[in-house]
Amino acid sequence: MSKVVEISPTTRHEGHSKLVLKVNDDGIVERGDWLSITPVRGIEKLAIGKTMEQVPKIASRVCGICPIAHTLAATEAMEASIGCEIPEDAYLLRMMLQCANRIHSHALHNILTLPDMYLPGTDSKINPFTPEEPVRSVAKRIQTLRMVGQTIGEIVGGEAIHPSNPRVGGMYKNLTPRARAKVLDLAKMGLPLAREHMEFMIAILRNYQKRDWAEVGGKEIPIPKDLGYHNQGYMAADPVYGSSSLDEIPGWFPERWTEVRPWDWYMGEEEITLEDPSYPVGGTTKAGTKAWPQMEACTGVPLYDGQPVEVGPRARLVQFKNYDEKGAIGLQIARQMEYMDCFYKIIEAADALDCSAPVIADEIPQGDGSIGWAANEAPRGCDVHLAKVRNGKVEYFSMLVPTTWNFPTCSRALVGAPWQLTEVIMRAYDPCVSCATHMIVLDEDKRLVAEKLLE
Amino acid sequence: MVLGNYKQVIAARSTDAEILRGSQDGGIVTQLFAYALDAGIIDGAIVAGPSDEPFKPEPMVATTREELLASRGTRYSISPNMSLIKEVTRSYGLDKVGVVGTPCQIQALRKGQLYPVGLRDVPDKIALAIGIFCMENFPYQSIIQLVEDHGATALENVSKLDIGKGKFWIYTERGATVQIPLKVTHKYEQPGCHVCLDYVSNLADISTGSVGTPDGWSTVFVRSANGDDIWAKAIAAGAFETKPIDSVKPGIELVTKLATEKITKNQQYIEDRKTKFTVGKELRNPYI
Ligand SMILES: Cc1cc2nc3c(=O)[nH]c(=O)nc-3n(C[C@H](O)[C@H](O)[C@H](O)COP(=O)(O)OP(=O)(O)OC[C@H]3O[C@@H](n4cnc5c(N)ncnc54)[C@H](O)[C@@H]3O)c2cc1C
Ligand code: SF4
Repeated sequence: MSKVVEISPTTRHEGHSKLVLKVNDDGIVERGDWLSITPVRGIEKLAIGKTMEQVPKIASRVCGICPIAHTLAATEAMEASIGCEIPEDAYLLRMMLQCANRIHSHALHNILTLPDMYLPGTDSKINPFTPEEPVRSVAKRIQTLRMVGQTIGEIVGGEAIHPSNPRVGGMYKNLTPRARAKVLDLAKMGLPLAREHMEFMIAILRNYQKRDWAEVGGKEIPIPKDLGYHNQGYMAADPVYGSSSLDEIPGWFPERWTEVRPWDWYMGEEEITLEDPSYPVGGTTKAGTKAWPQMEACTGVPLYDGQPVEVGPRARLVQFKNYDEKGAIGLQIARQMEYMDCFYKIIEAADALDCSAPVIADEIPQGDGSIGWAANEAPRGCDVHLAKVRNGKVEYFSMLVPTTWNFPTCSRALVGAPWQLTEVIMRAYDPCVSCATHMIVLDEDKRLVAEKLLE
Repeated sequence: MVLGNYKQVIAARSTDAEILRGSQDGGIVTQLFAYALDAGIIDGAIVAGPSDEPFKPEPMVATTREELLASRGTRYSISPNMSLIKEVTRSYGLDKVGVVGTPCQIQALRKGQLYPVGLRDVPDKIALAIGIFCMENFPYQSIIQLVEDHGATALENVSKLDIGKGKFWIYTERGATVQIPLKVTHKYEQPGCHVCLDYVSNLADISTGSVGTPDGWSTVFVRSANGDDIWAKAIAAGAFETKPIDSVKPGIELVTKLATEKITKNQQYIEDRKTKFTVGKELRNPYI
């Protein structure tokens, strides 16, 4: 007889979500639903009628960890719709901004991951807040990496959180030679730290893979070798930056995308029948409570070739570098492997930057209502924005955000895991739930079916 | 305390003849920034730079002596220097920022440092704030009106404008001097200046102006510990010639008198906003 257990809210990720899990007598997940319960903010709806300059600034506010992704994807979706090519040096600035944000975001995620992990050779979990070594130095290194990322983001993007420099047609400002030198200094300072840190993180993650059990709430929970395996596909538009409908060879294909309602995908109404008050900290949902994922999920379910797909660091490495490690820890390792490229790309772009070149297109067309899209490879994966602009105003706007793609995929990856480790699987996706929640749902023919929800 | 807190007040002028040639008074602002730039105390400064129109200032980030020289002289109209306060730490990449401004601008700076609303990573990058004395300011249109109409002079022929000794002075390139009584200028003042209670840039590290010292010299208040430190180094480096303030005419008494007049008059105006201008309603008072 299967039972239903619910972890709500989930922790150590961005936003508000929960796990509704059907488990067998051994507590192994038979079907899991991971869903957003963050209130819908309706960004796509309120964008309509606003100017193409405003909308990317509003979209940025969807998330404060990866605002760069939404700013760039939205700006570039506008540029794709109006057919505006930006100057090379503006692109270099955007590239630096993109990589700087990825450094900061991955480093931040390390702090969220480490408490699940063990110091190699011991049975003690890592508390990133401890003043004791060796963890103290690790925490300092993480904060230095974040400082480097945020400072470069601030110089290049105008602001680290909600960058002010990007605009439709390019950037407001180029860098002065002094600012460029500062970026190079910071990147060169960060590079050896990143290598050291990547190696440290991978060692920690490999150690977890070798372990037989993890302690959760005072119990030893067996770690299956296939923790977090799934058979879904991967989707990535670019190894580092992104792609748009202006590209000669685009990296994303709108005709392969469909979206279904949570209703079609999630479980129906269930009663919680299993309860564990010792689950840290505060226990699971009380037995007898009703859960209804179909109704409660606050995101649409986007599909690629009719299937949920994984996006993110591993998807990028699978697609572009033949990476083949599966499972939750495989995904975590892929994330660490992205550190170095970010630094190299920043140094490359800063070296190539001409500080006296223009960073704004000579002409910025106002748009005739054509559809344009831009995919930005956000820290958490492919972030696609679609827009129609006419006479400078937005007529249609849609955001297909990484964590939205990952919700159904990760849900499938929960199957076979002890329910106590499902948060470990979920965290491997570095969920950004506010990013994921701003729904517009399309049916198979791409007609809007959930618009009514927002009206 | 109409003159604010200060550690010392002196009469001073730059020892650099090139700086003095185009500066308004003793070239204190330009000299101090030039010295601080040389000594690595600042790596640039926000100043009122030149613009396309004569005597219309435009905020500028100066990182070289040449750029500092280009910003010499008083432009009696609004130069929103604080508009660059964040950008200077962003695409300009400065870590040690110098700023010059009128008393209200130095207030904005200090407020931004203590309550940095939308000013992330700015407060700790301010290395030297120089304030200038200011009785009132004018919109650019007022300057055109005063110089072209009241002064019957083409603005592009003007070499210097100055307010002093109860008059608005216009000096032309060709050597003519025109004076307009200050009474005439009052209606052209920026209305916002009428609630201003600071004459000698009380919140600056170092503040300077012309009143109190002879032509070509400046009155200098050294106020903060940071200002004191920089001033001592600049003196040691031979950047300034100084005289005790007691030894010059008209001296500190005149500064005190004018500061008192400004504050008393504007305090009255703030009071009047409670009662005089509306029926049964107060106009807003930013000081409470
Ligand atoms: C609107 C205004 C009113 C003033 N009123 C008085 C007064 O009543 N009594 C008095 O003693 N002194 C007054 N001053 C100050 C005086 O005119 C000189 O600016 C001051 O003595 C500095 O001279 P200096 O030779 O040291 O500076 P300089 O070496 O000539 O450099 C002048 C500096 O002032 C800056 N500056 C010029 N115009 C502006 C502006 N509009 N806003 C902000 N910064 C500017 C420039 O960027 C430059 O850095 C006033 C100045 C202004 C701008
Ligand atoms: S009088 Fe006061 S408000 Fe007006 S410009 Fe001078 S300092 Fe600013």
